[in-house]
Parts: sequence; C-alpha cells; structure tokens
Amino acid sequence: MTLSAHPIEGNGEAHVEACATSIGMGDKVTIDPITLSVVRFKLLAVAEEVVEVMTQASFSPILNQSRDFSSAVLDGVGQLLTQAERVPIHMGALPFAVKRMLEAFEGDLHPGDVIVANDPYWGGSHLPDVTLAAPLFVNGELVLWVANRAHQGDIGGISPGGYSPSAREIWHEGIRIPPMKLVAKGVLREDLLRMICTNSRTPEDMRGDLLAQMSSVVRGVARGAELYDRYGTRVMTAACDAILNAGERAMRQQLSQWTPGVYEGVSLMDPQRAGEAPLPIKARITLSGDHVKVDFSDCAPQVASFINSPLANTKAAVNVAFMYLSGGQDGQNEGSTRAIKVITRPGSIVDPLEPAPVTACTTLTASVIIEAVMRGLEQAAPTRVVAGFARRFRLAIGGTDRVGKRFIWHTFANRGGAGGHARADGWSNLGVVHNPGGSPSPSVERTEAAYPFLIETYALRPDSGGAGQYRGGLGGIYILRYEGASVASITPTGDGAEIAPYGLAGAQDGQTHAYSIERAGVETQLGAKDANLTLQPGDKVICRSAGGGGYGLAARRDAAEIRRDIDYGYVSEAAARAHYPQIDTGYDERSHGNLADRDHKTAESDARDGGRHG
Amino acid sequence: MKTSQIIHHQWGNMRIGVDIGGTFTDLVAVDADGGIVTTKTLSTPQDPSEGVVQGLLLLANRLGMTPSQMYERTELMIHGTTVATNTLAQRNGAHVGLLTTLGFRDVLELREGTKTGRYDLHTPFPQPLIRRPDRLEIVERLRHDGRVEVPLDEAHVLQQIDALRARGVEAVVVGLLHSHINPAHELRVRALIQQRDWQVYTVLSHEILGSEGEYDRFSTAAVNAYVGPRLDRYLGRLEARLREAGARFPLLIMQSTGGLLPALEAARYAVGCVTSGPAGGATATALYAKLLGVDRVVAYDTGGTTTDISLVDEGKPQERRKTELEDIKIAVPSIDIQVVALGGGSIARLDAGGILTLGPDSAGALPGPVCYGRGGEQVTLTDANLVLGYLSPTTFLGGRMQLDLARAKAVIRAQIAEPLGLTVEEASLAVNALASSRIASAVRTTALRRGLDPRELTLLSFGGAGGLHTAAVANELSIPHALVPREASVFSALGFLAADVRLDAQSPFGKLLSDATPEALEATFQALEKQLRERMAAGDFDGGKTSGSANNDTFSFMRYVDCRYRRQISTLALSVPADVGRQTPVDWVLAPFEAKYRQYYGHVHANESPYIETCRVSAYRMIAGGSLPRPSDHGAGDLPPPGNFARVRRVFTGEWIDIPGLWFDELREGACVEGPALVESTTTTVFVPAGSTARIDAFGSLSIQSEQRA
Repeated sequence: MTLSAHPIEGNGEAHVEACATSIGMGDKVTIDPITLSVVRFKLLAVAEEVVEVMTQASFSPILNQSRDFSSAVLDGVGQLLTQAERVPIHMGALPFAVKRMLEAFEGDLHPGDVIVANDPYWGGSHLPDVTLAAPLFVNGELVLWVANRAHQGDIGGISPGGYSPSAREIWHEGIRIPPMKLVAKGVLREDLLRMICTNSRTPEDMRGDLLAQMSSVVRGVARGAELYDRYGTRVMTAACDAILNAGERAMRQQLSQWTPGVYEGVSLMDPQRAGEAPLPIKARITLSGDHVKVDFSDCAPQVASFINSPLANTKAAVNVAFMYLSGGQDGQNEGSTRAIKVITRPGSIVDPLEPAPVTACTTLTASVIIEAVMRGLEQAAPTRVVAGFARRFRLAIGGTDRVGKRFIWHTFANRGGAGGHARADGWSNLGVVHNPGGSPSPSVERTEAAYPFLIETYALRPDSGGAGQYRGGLGGIYILRYEGASVASITPTGDGAEIAPYGLAGAQDGQTHAYSIERAGVETQLGAKDANLTLQPGDKVICRSAGGGGYGLAARRDAAEIRRDIDYGYVSEAAARAHYPQIDTGYDERSHGNLADRDHKTAESDARDGGRHG
Repeated sequence: MKTSQIIHHQWGNMRIGVDIGGTFTDLVAVDADGGIVTTKTLSTPQDPSEGVVQGLLLLANRLGMTPSQMYERTELMIHGTTVATNTLAQRNGAHVGLLTTLGFRDVLELREGTKTGRYDLHTPFPQPLIRRPDRLEIVERLRHDGRVEVPLDEAHVLQQIDALRARGVEAVVVGLLHSHINPAHELRVRALIQQRDWQVYTVLSHEILGSEGEYDRFSTAAVNAYVGPRLDRYLGRLEARLREAGARFPLLIMQSTGGLLPALEAARYAVGCVTSGPAGGATATALYAKLLGVDRVVAYDTGGTTTDISLVDEGKPQERRKTELEDIKIAVPSIDIQVVALGGGSIARLDAGGILTLGPDSAGALPGPVCYGRGGEQVTLTDANLVLGYLSPTTFLGGRMQLDLARAKAVIRAQIAEPLGLTVEEASLAVNALASSRIASAVRTTALRRGLDPRELTLLSFGGAGGLHTAAVANELSIPHALVPREASVFSALGFLAADVRLDAQSPFGKLLSDATPEALEATFQALEKQLRERMAAGDFDGGKTSGSANNDTFSFMRYVDCRYRRQISTLALSVPADVGRQTPVDWVLAPFEAKYRQYYGHVHANESPYIETCRVSAYRMIAGGSLPRPSDHGAGDLPPPGNFARVRRVFTGEWIDIPGLWFDELREGACVEGPALVESTTTTVFVPAGSTARIDAFGSLSIQSEQRA
C-alpha cells in the first residue's frame, strides 16, 4: 500500500507538466505531488527521530529535561529542509554552520563522517551551542545532511556555564571548535573527543552529550538513506527542491498581504555601563510585494562585551521574527528565507568580527533584533505584530546554606509579561520573546527545600502591563528572604531595568523590571549591571518583573474588560481611571460570563483558523 | 455467540462493562467462564444514564433473560465515563474557589511560566479553572520540613470561607504550601468548612497528590474540583436509575490508571476519571497480549478526530506521571496514551506552499466529512477512503449511514486534484498514504520513547478509522504481525472487564539511595498501606455483595519507589520485590534502576547514587483474575451483513481493481484471507493489501502477516 510500490502508470508525463505549473517558481519539477507530500512528512519524521534519540541518550538535564537542542534535515548543499520544533533561535542558524562545514572539508567528505563545530566565526552562534552534522552519500553523491545543535552545560571560559559578562574577547568564552571530523569514515576520533571534553568543567556530561548528538545524527542519516533507497535520488532531489520552493512561495504569499513601504524599527538595550546611552538596534525594512529587505547597516559598532550577535544569529533572529509574524505555519524551511534579505555592516554589533565576544547573542541580543523587526512592521502588518515582552533579567546568589554548605542559585521564576496584539491581551508571566514559555520555573516548595530561602510571595504584579485596547501581560512579584548562615553574593545580569517593553499602535509601554534589596526595612534599587553586591541573612530580595507592552489606543478598550481587570486585580482602580476614561460606561454584572465565553470562543475559532495550540 | 448458544449457556456470576461514547453506548457481559456477549445502543448525551438502561434491556434480551433475571446473576457493573473528560474539554465544570497560603494566590495563573506552541504568540491567554476573584488567601505558613512558621488564623479562615460561599462557588480547593509534608492546616480548613455547615464539594490538595510541587498539586486539585460535582451528580443519577430498574449490583468506575474504584470513591477522586475510556482500550490491549502470550504490543485507535496510541510492555499498559491537556496540568499517574490529531475527520488541504497536508485540524463529528452530508465542505480522510472504494457508501456502519460519494469526489477534485493536476483517485490515494505515514510515525515515536524497537512489537488496531491503515502502518514499521480484534467496536468496554479494583497513595521520601535505611522505607510503606486500608474501609468497595464483605485481606499491595538522579526532575518507577525484607535498599534498587535508566536514556551515571524521591503503594483487589474475558470467533455482535452487502469491491490502489468484500462476523477461526481484500464489520473496515495474508486466530481476531515476512 505504499506509493512507491504502486507507481501511477500511464500519465506520469502529465504529472510533470501539471506540477511544473502548479508548484511553479519556474523550476524543473520532476516529482508527482503525492510523493512530494509523503516525502516532506517523512523528512520531518527523520528530524523528530533525531530528537527522540537525543532525549534518551543525552546526559545533562539542560538537554534531556529542558531539551535545549534542535534537529534539522538539510539538503546536499546545506539548505534547511525541515526541522523538529525545538529552540527557535537555533533553526535559522543551522544552515550557516553546515555550509561552513562543507567549505572546510570541500572534496574531503566521506560516508560515515560526522562533523563537529561551535565557533561563531565558522558559522556558529555562541560557543555553548555545539553542532554535529553528518552527510548522507548516495552513489558517491552528497545528498543530505542531518544536524543536531545542542546547548552544552559548560564549554570552559571565564565563568561556569559560559555566560561571562566580563568576557572582552571570544577566547574568554570557552573552547572554539572550527569544523572538525569527530567521526571519520565511521571511526570515532577519541583523541579529539578527549580534547574537547578536557576543556569543559563537566567533562563526563560533555562526553555523554556529544556521543548522544553523534548517535542521533547517525540514526537520522540511516533513516534518510532508507528514503533514498525507496524513492531514488532523482525523485528525492526533486522533492527537496519542491519543498524549498513551497516554503518560499508560502512566505512570499504572506509578505504580499502586507502593506509595501520602507519602514524603520528601533529597539534599545539598557546602557552597558552607568552614564552611557541605551544601545540601539536599528532595522530599516523595505517591503516590496513578495519580498523584504532588512537592513541593519545603521547599527552600532561591535562592543567588547558578550552582546555582539554573529551574522548567523542575527539572520536566525530575523527569521524567528518572521515566523512569529506569519504564525509559524507548517512547512517552514530555508525556502522561506529566500524572500528575506538581511543586510549588515561587518564590524557592527549584529555582524561582529573576530574576536568580539558573543555569548548573550542567542538570548538578549536576539530578543532585541526580533523587537526591532516587529516595531518596524507595525504599520505594514498591524494584525500580526506583537508589543514588547519583558527581557531576561536574572540573579545569581552564591553563599552558604543553613548547614554551611556552599550553593549557587539562579532565578528561573518570575519572567515578566508578554506584549498585547491586535486580537488579545498579552500573557502574564510568560517572559522572553526569544523563547516564550519555553522552560518551566522551579516550584517554591522545591526551592525552599534545596536553598536557604523563604519565598514570601510569588504573585502577579498589578498595573505592570501596558494599558491599551489590548493590555500587556502582567509581570510578577517574587519576594525571597535569605536565611543562609553567612553573607552571600548577589549578581544581577540582564536587561530591561531601564528600557520598558514597548507598546504598539498608541498603547502604553509595560513597566520595567524593578528589583531591589530590602535590609532592615530599607529598600535599595538593584541595577541590571551592578556588581559586588552582598546579602545579609534576613535580607529580602524583591523582584518585580516587567509587564508586556499594550496594543492599540487605551480609549478603545472594552469597558467590560476594564471592569474585569479591576475585579481581578490586574489593574488598580486608580490606574484604570488614569488610563481608561470609558471606565464608567457600558458595564453590567452579566457581561462577566459573556466575557469568559468570548475568550473561549476566540480560542476555538483560532484553532479552526489553523492557529497552533500544540 | 450465536443467539442459540447464548441462550443455552449457563450465565452466572456475570460482570457487565459499559462504555459511553459520543455516538454509541457499548455493553459487554462476561461470565465466570470468560464467555462474552456484547451489544450496542445509541448514546443519550442529555442524560447518558438513559442509554445505559436501554443497553441493559437489550443485553438481557440477547441473553434470553428478563432484566431482573440478568440483574440477579450480575456481580457488578464496570463503567467508563467521559463525563470528566467532556467537562474539561468543554470547560463547563463547577464554579470553583481556592483557599491558599498568603502570598500565593496566583500559583495557578502563573503556570510555572509555561506555554505550548513556541511560534504562536497570538493565542489568547487561557484563564485558569479558578479565576482570580475566587482565589482567596488565608493567614498560615508551613516550612519545607513541615514546621509551622505562621499558625493558621482560624477566624480569618472562617471569614474567607464565608466570602467564597457568598461568591456562590460549588466546590472548594484547599491548597497550602508544603501540605504534602504536613497536612494539618489543610485538614483543619476542611473541618472549619464543615463547622460552617456548608455542604460543598471540598478537595484538599495533599489528598489528591502527596508530592512536592505546589503548581502540580494545586492544578490537579483544581481539575478534581472542576469536574467532581458534575461527575458526582451523574454517577448518583446512574446509580439511582439502576436501583429503580431493580439492579442491586455495585457500580465500579474505570480510572485513567486502568484500575477500578467504587462509584462513591470515584466521584470524590474525579481527576482520576479524565481518561477513563481510553484506559479501557489499553487494558483490553493488555488482555490480548496475555491471550496471545506476547509481552509487547503497541495499539492505536483511530477515531473521528484523533489517534490514541498506547504501549503494553511486560504485559502491562505503560503509565505516565503527568498529563498535560492544552493548558491544564494533571499530575497523577495514568496510562500513557499518546494522542495524535489524526482521524477520519482530519482535514486534507494544500498548504500555503501548495503541498498536500493532512490535519491537525478536523471536521469532527459536526459538520464531519463532506460525504456525511451534514454541511462539511473540506476534504477529510474519510472522504478520500470513500472515493478509493475502501468504504462503502451503502453499508458504512452496517448501513446506518448513507455516504455521499458524488459530493466527496467533487470536493476532492476542486480542492486537491485539480490544483495538483491529479485525478480524483490519485489525490485520494495521496491523502490515504499520508494518513498511514502519520500513524506509523506516531507509533514509532511511542515505541522509541520507551526505548523499544518497533519491529519487536505486535501491532493492534481498533477504532473505526484504523483498520484501513493497519497493514500499511505495520509494513512501514517492518512490524511482521498486526491484529484487528473482532471486539474492536466494544474494545474499551471489554477492557473494563479485564481490570482490577485499585487505590493509590504516595508520600515523599527524599533520600539518596545510599542514605536510605530499610527501616525508614518500611515505615513509609506501612503508613501508606494503613491509609489505603482506611480508605477501603470507608469506601463502599463491593457493596457487601461480592465475595463476602469488604475485607481488607482481599486486597494485595504493590509497592513502588520513584527514583532519579538527584539533579533531575523526572523519575523512573521501580516495583519493590515482595521479598526484600531487611535488605539494604541499594541491593534491590540500584541494578533495576540502572537497567531501566539505560533502556530509556542509553547510559547510566555510574558514579552517582540514585535518589528515592517518592514511595507509592497501589492496592488491588483482583476481581478479574479468575475470569478474564475470552473472546472467540463467535464474539462481537455476531451480526449478519446488511442485505445490500457487496461481495466484490472495486477499489483504487494505483489502478482500479476488483477485490473480494468479506463480512468479519462470517469468518471463523482458521479462515484465511489472501490480499487484496476488504473485511468489513458494522464498525470498521480492514484492508488486506496484495501480498499480505490474514487469518482468523483462536480469539476471533483478524491476524495480518505483512508482505515482507509472509
């Protein structure tokens, strides 16, 4: 009952003709549409199997639990065909890595090779993200790549875990691996593996995780080979082309629905040092029919701090923005990016030259790039853009616990609000736009059991969401009392203490992060770049996270929703009166239930429209 | 069984299984010898208990008895209910209030900061089951070790109770921090509610889930409170109706774990019923594994909108600790059923890039496929299978529904065939092939997640839309042996009859294996068993009707430890061997833990001691042990084919060919079907492709050997 076992006879030629016109783009398609849809699905299944193998085999919790890895299948020249939905920022970046691998080993790639690389100046994003990729050869021809990018727990460098605000050049950030053969013609290079792992603070985990990556791409290549066996190289090559063309066509169709024009989007980062100005990322966006140019030439020069974004990461972030804008439809692949041209100036913060440090690029800088694109398209795609999200602002507390044992703790709770958009309010406590809601925060109960803290409050932060026709999501309030045996150090890193999540279409910004330390009843503000701070036993750390930006004029907000916000305590009565003059009209008790129904119905009709609730 | 045989069989000590589906209510009776008889009747969604009574009358009729004769000879009835499932899916449950620790009112709304669907930023925020004004804080605080930091302010609690009552809530959750370590405050709050003479459905978080993690506990308790009152009313109504009709036997309810609970207990522990029906399917799969003498079976059930996949390993359905239903988290164990959005109603269309896709959205039952003629306008899998000749327009569902072939063709032509330059048949074949690929891929993933190679499994398919794809799925996965049970149409109800009464309890242990003493473990387990004995004594476990009284000795206990490496989050469950006695836990935990860990993850952390997170006990009362249902080639409804049943079918497999059409109920043990052929029953159609051979086995199932191995 397989299609290959029952080739459709008699009118094969007619198919070729029909497809060339229907799938179009002027290319020579020699595949029937039936095989095409089945092959596309099977390629996705290959990427998903890589994910399963990786989940089972990897060592570190960041991989087997938080699943901070991604897999993709690429064609013979490194164009991404399909991906298993994992970390958004990994995906657009993977083709760069594979293309550089091809370059590095031109004429010297063989069946059974597995290539490893992480260097941002060799197609990588930041050093913790290590990519393994394996080529598939059929009759001596390189036809397919299977790749797996995984965030390694530690790759050396100044700070454990890789995020080093004090890094001034790339060598401070860990081991750099240009494309190298980890496996050559089926033989694992133990010496290379040992060398890489020796450069990690957790060599055992690193070894297990790299071997897991290796087995996952090897499995993927075997599955890919089965597809080539079954359908033949000619059909598979045609299928790969057609898949990319379809991705391109879908993106072009989406772009042509938006209003053409030249737009500018600017998003700011908090000043890097006290007294400096905020750092802008500027995107000049030219939307002309079915294609778009995103020009970052006006961005600041690269800086001697880990916020530089290598080109692969910059392009990936732009890609993520367009995925959000187009609703993340199925069939996203590198074809979609053919319609999006990204221009950068080498030596700038979004296209740095060696040896600029880059570790924060996949989180902080990626968020700001995504925001610049969103803000730029406010006029062009008003129903698709989303207002500002809270940025990542984390604390690390290091000290001794109740029984005198050393500990280090990082905040993963209290992420801040999401931005509103043309159809609904933003989500509360969702966090960062580069990975919204991606990993769960640890429970209060577990935190208290494992660390010398008493958490006094973890609750929504009223009034933090930007007012608008659609309100920004709320941030949170997280109050932690330190109960260790001795003085602890507290180190904030991140952004958004000064720059607020932006409102769109006339709405208000969300409130900024406002963190402080309370000692003996006196509160002291905590800056995102403060260093050398201490906590005394009994001190409280009060974390108020940013709310999302609103969308649309506040005066247009439904009175029943304003009332609901007040009843629910999302917005104080005073703030509501300040922002919403319409508060005193058109509300009665019954509209409550209707409102709830309406929320639900919107969700349902979204599902019908193909909105994703996965 | 044939009517004459049914009447001459000595029916006694019967058990009756009842499964209420969206369209049909299925009933299966089994007696002490394992003989079975089945019937179906239309469901009555307004009051499902009506359909149950109707079905019982039909069943008595089939048995050649009066209803009271049948009730006399019935030991008990086992029921799987979708009331909890539907209440949750339709979000029409109770108005619930929460009393919680000062400072933590928003735990449910903060959702641990998570969201599914990473590229979708436009879905509106889903309000939690308990809205903010109904979540009130009370003054109290416990420490992580159970010490009281702030005593319970009872006067304040009473005020808050009155405030919730004034808001008109129908159910109350009491969810306090660290209550799994020290339940005193939660218990006291319930006493205060009772003291106020308020008869409200009350749920204490530690009673629903005795483990660390406030979001898991509160969320699970909230689900319980949300679906509980409605389930309670429904079960009450059903019991009353049965009593009215003269039935005296006790009513047991199928749980998501595959265990049974008495109706009263099930209504209190409503969250345990959320996947009650599918659990029956998995239990029935385990029954077939046992009958066939195989350890590992993977089953898929393709219905109108979804495909449910479950895996039986070592003869048991595999469980999971947590379930996430869209934005709702349920942290109690259940049979691990993977749900894939693929069914007969799945919509086929060209995506924005012009490539054919199938699902995940579905036309559901309404409007349904185009060929149902109920207003569906988008191509579905069922429409494609109709065009291909696999489904018969006149004898679908035994002739209960006429299918509109012309409409199906027209829509496939306009939406898929013409844009792609294909014939209608070719387009339909593409949709059919995509469906097989998607099911196969999901089955493969399910097996891989458990560290199993799909080729070593037996494939079992049930559910209306599954049989057409069984052989293709087996073929794609190189599974040599696939099975379609004759009882497929009443599979869940059959599974209920293979289940045992089961109660679960757990408590945190929290020690490294190297620090765990046999005494500490024993004390923890004994406390849990004591608690289970008390629950049994309190619950109406067999209505005093069967095998003597509710004697605790009729229960057996199974002990489990949930282990992980210390810094991990997810655990592996190990059963505690009966003979461990005073052995050091390392002696019986380490080797099995490492073996299982290796099976799942491919490696172990040899230098690290595992950590025992939780101790669990399941109490079983084996009611099925002696008389498992024994399906045969005279099972199912044993219905004759409709008068217009076509013995020759014209189907499209790349070209139009004529193949035999066979009626499942006419095939007896040993019968052999050479592919290509269609085997049809009133509820499903099985396609046996060219090169495959199907035989009727000793249990009446259609057993398909794939073309590669045959």
